[in-house]
Amino acid sequence: MAEIKNEAAFRQALDGLALADQRKAGALFVRAVLPLIEDERVAGAVEVAAKGGSDEALAAAFQGARRASIDWHTRCGAEGDWKEQAAYFVARAAAACVAPPGHVKSGNPAWQAAVNARMARTSVAIDEDGTAVRENEAQYRLLGEFLKA
Amino acid sequence: MTDRAKIAINAFKEQIDGAVSAYLSSCVHCGLCAHACLFFNETGDPRYTPIHKLEPLRRVWWSEYTLFGKLALLVGLAPKVTEELLAEWQELTYNACSLCGRCSMVCPVGNDIAGMIRKQREGMVAAGYSPDGLKGASTRAVKIGSPMGVTWKAVAAQIGHVENDTGLQIPVDKDGADYLVLMSSMEIMNYPEYLEAIARIFSEAGVSWTLSSQAFEATNSGIQIGSSDIARELVSRIVAAAEKLGVKTVISPECGHAYTALRWDGPNLIGRPYKFKARHILEVLDELRAAGKLKTEGFEEERMTFHDPCQLVRRGGVLEQPRRLVKMVVKDFVDMPEAGKMNWCCGAGGGVSAIEEAGELKLTAFNAKKRQLEAVKPDKLITACANCRIQLEEGLEENNMDIPVIGLTELLAEHLVETGKAEG
Repeated sequence: MAEIKNEAAFRQALDGLALADQRKAGALFVRAVLPLIEDERVAGAVEVAAKGGSDEALAAAFQGARRASIDWHTRCGAEGDWKEQAAYFVARAAAACVAPPGHVKSGNPAWQAAVNARMARTSVAIDEDGTAVRENEAQYRLLGEFLKA
Repeated sequence: MTDRAKIAINAFKEQIDGAVSAYLSSCVHCGLCAHACLFFNETGDPRYTPIHKLEPLRRVWWSEYTLFGKLALLVGLAPKVTEELLAEWQELTYNACSLCGRCSMVCPVGNDIAGMIRKQREGMVAAGYSPDGLKGASTRAVKIGSPMGVTWKAVAAQIGHVENDTGLQIPVDKDGADYLVLMSSMEIMNYPEYLEAIARIFSEAGVSWTLSSQAFEATNSGIQIGSSDIARELVSRIVAAAEKLGVKTVISPECGHAYTALRWDGPNLIGRPYKFKARHILEVLDELRAAGKLKTEGFEEERMTFHDPCQLVRRGGVLEQPRRLVKMVVKDFVDMPEAGKMNWCCGAGGGVSAIEEAGELKLTAFNAKKRQLEAVKPDKLITACANCRIQLEEGLEENNMDIPVIGLTELLAEHLVETGKAEG
């Protein structure tokens, strides 16, 4: 496998993975942003995705992570807090990793985990008035290492 | 009489025009509006009867504009509008009304009850009887440009995120573009996939579009809290940006009341017609579909249904467009009972979602939607309003109903035929 250097190669590599490996790759992306949230339900879901749990374990993890994403969202009309919003996106990323197939947009949990993890970083950048960390490049590296292992 | 009560009475008087007088004098006390209201239906609380919610406005109309009322006022027998009454009615006027307009549809004498609630809010807010959540949202909307405090800096960051993920360029402040795309703060904060979907669809359709750094926010807290002054200011910003850029059409996003504010209330608020067209995103997508510029491939395999946002369908008339669009990508589509014009509100419209203390009531109101969904048992639920979407997600979660919710624009983008001809 050649080194992943761009979005097209990243998507192609993710699409080439079996579902269980997509969950594992997604877990890697979420772990990178996990410090942005303090929520056991989310951390637990990432562990299940990484270890490859039973259908029951995945369902329970999904329920917890999805509930967390709803708990962390910003209510319409409420004052937005981008730090909390980062947590919301981490929860969404974790939920994607353990979601049943019909619940994941584009059918690829790793891709959904990746884009939500990037939005979490973007949210932090907005909150801190800084420049967003190039999370996509970190994800290319993580996926490359995962594919080599 | 106290100053606040006086302020409210004067503001109510300004709202009582010929139509309101006709409505209030022709009410036959039939109670049909009660059973059309999800807040009454789901709680059984008679205080939530829509016409009863209008008691402060009705008292002013009766005592000021009817013969018997004037006589009663002279001898001190007219029921008074007091601070206590206004304080009690704040909850009925805001927390327990999503301005969904279902009551107006069933009134046998044609009273626009929801329209009158909107007018009553003018008096309530003038006298200081409006919820803190809506006051905060309105203040942020005026001062910052977004009810949720979203700044252009945040939008720019999201643009960068979308450009990075898609390889597309998001046009900003492009003079003479055909379309000016607005967003809601909810989409910017909670559903960034909306902007990505727009970018991909418009790129493939080859349409000329832009965002405006001067006016990106479509929502209008002035409409929700009931302040025409605030509503006018917010609409004026969009009008100024659109006319400066010289766009042909301004697109309201997947947000219900933003569409009402921009399309129907806006020209009246600013006192003149627009120099551009105002359309909802679903209207534009349907036009692209009809012109052969929106091409999709594949179908969803699951059974899906569509939640009609009240402001879009009942109050806005955008009924067939979403169904034509849904059927492009969903074979097993089923409408819920009472879908379309008589659809049940999600429970969080009209500013209810911004009122923290209304949290429990809006989830009780969701039970109407729950029953509609149970009747058709969909695998997925589609909607076209970010506020409805989050309320649906919360309600489904609260009721342990495992039904994912997706925005229609986003669903279409999932099935978009992408040739890679991409041009921002």
